Amino acid sequence: MSVKIDITKRYNKAEIDGKKSTKKSFMLDVNFEMENELVVLFGPSGSGKTTFFKCISGIIEPDNGIITVESNVYYDKDKKINLPIQKRNLGYVFQNDTLFPHMNVRKNIECGLKGWEKESKEKRFMEMLDLLHIEELETRYPSQLSGGQKQRVALARALAPKPEILLLDEPFSALDTEIRTKLAKKIKTLQNKIRIPLLFITHNLEEAFLLASKILVLHEGKAQQFGTPEEIFYNPQNRHVAEIFGLSNIFDDAYVKEHDEESKSTILESGSMQITVKYLNCKVRDKVCWGIHPENITLLSPDSGSEDQNENLYLAFINSIINKGPKKRITLKLVRHKKILNVEVPAQFVDSLKLHASDSCLVKLEMSKVVAFYCF
Amino acid sequence: MLDQIWFPLYLTFWIALVSSLLVLCSGVIIAYIFARRDFRGKKLLEVLITLPLVLPPTVIGYLLILLMGKNGFIGHMIYNVLGTGIMFTWQAAVIAAYTVSLPLMVRTAQAAIEAVDKELEYAAYILGRSEIETALVITLPLAKRGILAGLVLSFARSIGEFGATLMLAGNIQGKTNTMSISIYNAFQSGNDELAKVLVLILILMSLLAIALTGRFVGKLEA
Repeated sequence: MSVKIDITKRYNKAEIDGKKSTKKSFMLDVNFEMENELVVLFGPSGSGKTTFFKCISGIIEPDNGIITVESNVYYDKDKKINLPIQKRNLGYVFQNDTLFPHMNVRKNIECGLKGWEKESKEKRFMEMLDLLHIEELETRYPSQLSGGQKQRVALARALAPKPEILLLDEPFSALDTEIRTKLAKKIKTLQNKIRIPLLFITHNLEEAFLLASKILVLHEGKAQQFGTPEEIFYNPQNRHVAEIFGLSNIFDDAYVKEHDEESKSTILESGSMQITVKYLNCKVRDKVCWGIHPENITLLSPDSGSEDQNENLYLAFINSIINKGPKKRITLKLVRHKKILNVEVPAQFVDSLKLHASDSCLVKLEMSKVVAFYCF
Repeated sequence: MLDQIWFPLYLTFWIALVSSLLVLCSGVIIAYIFARRDFRGKKLLEVLITLPLVLPPTVIGYLLILLMGKNGFIGHMIYNVLGTGIMFTWQAAVIAAYTVSLPLMVRTAQAAIEAVDKELEYAAYILGRSEIETALVITLPLAKRGILAGLVLSFARSIGEFGATLMLAGNIQGKTNTMSISIYNAFQSGNDELAKVLVLILILMSLLAIALTGRFVGKLEA
């Protein structure tokens, strides 16, 4: 494994409750390993993402644990190793602009190349300009750059000294969506070129999906789940992860009724409702939660059949339809089970099916799209 | 009369220059340590260095005599090394000027250094630069305007110094009679003409200092 991290660190987070600001203490507790891949650190603000980066870079010292990158031990509590920041060979792009304002782009990038021979320094500098397409910015000062240009220069500066790991702390959070997506794609191709482990912090789900080969989900300091985006999206380990991943329509009144080994499925009972989900590694009668993303619910015309719980097909009543531009948000009530579901469908679909508030319709919850998990 | 103007003017400038150079070197280091380090007794040290800003100059002068006089802790050491005391010399006037103007530098420079984003320093550390290099290449250049403002204030304070200088360096014609002291002498001896000229020169110099600080501080805030 090229990167191995297992640390704990107590940290404080200021919480604003009305006018009072109180400090709440959390324990950062992360244990994971990665190869030369792009791992996204995902979690709400205050979940310890930046604290985690500061531990890796040596800005703050963990309370316990080890950090190794390639064959270098950055930190090992038991062996009393704590490498100074300068000796850790890493690249770091901060959330805020940290280009040195009194130096032009060239000076900024060359800042990390102290002690290099003049020729190799010049060559590396040119490579960086080329890699990030910033050739025309060489003599400009940070105040003369746009937000996107600044972050590209910051990337060039971080990569110039050939780091063995790159840490990116929400580097694009201050940028417009368009530039943001463009730069995220750039990071993806960059990762293929430089082939070093890359950790990327974001709390933007789209960005996480676009970039990640794996996602590490953090909640209140604790690593909740580590896996591919799809894995986590459809098999969240608990309610925290499900909610962080935007799952709504969550019901916590379910338990496992039986497993069907043949069709690799599990039948849940949720109040008066019965629903079939993908095989769930739980014991019968275990209490679980289930939910479904609003985009993953299928609506059918009421004439196309009748309620059939074995097929996850339910009769519903439309409470309201809200216009959300190209999409519409429909609030439904399952007629027999008194459950409310939010559905998001293309506006065009609602028009073609001629759906209106107080109509009834059939709802299909595809087995593969229903998400079930232990609540906590 | 020209001679009576020329010597005090030269002496005052010389004392202010030497004192300001000392203030610049030591003040910036002290300001950096106050801004970026935490240690036991830091608050006490901060109070001690700021004290001359609020104490009456004669009190400072008296305390300096206790310290620098032949029987004082530092004065005794100097006497052992040089074989002569430094009381009633221009060097004593420099010490007086240094003591009263140091807090102006430390306070202004400390505020300017504290205003430099710490993340910029971390960024430099991560790029492999040591703390001293980072201070010289990143922090201090970015705090430049505050340091220059502190320097101008210190210089102006040195030029105007009277009480502590009188106590420590005395009032010796042709040796320690600075501008401020010469004004007092001229007024006392009824030489109104001379007093007026010296006062005018000091007013002009102070205005210049205000104009200079105004420029630096104005740019600092902008």
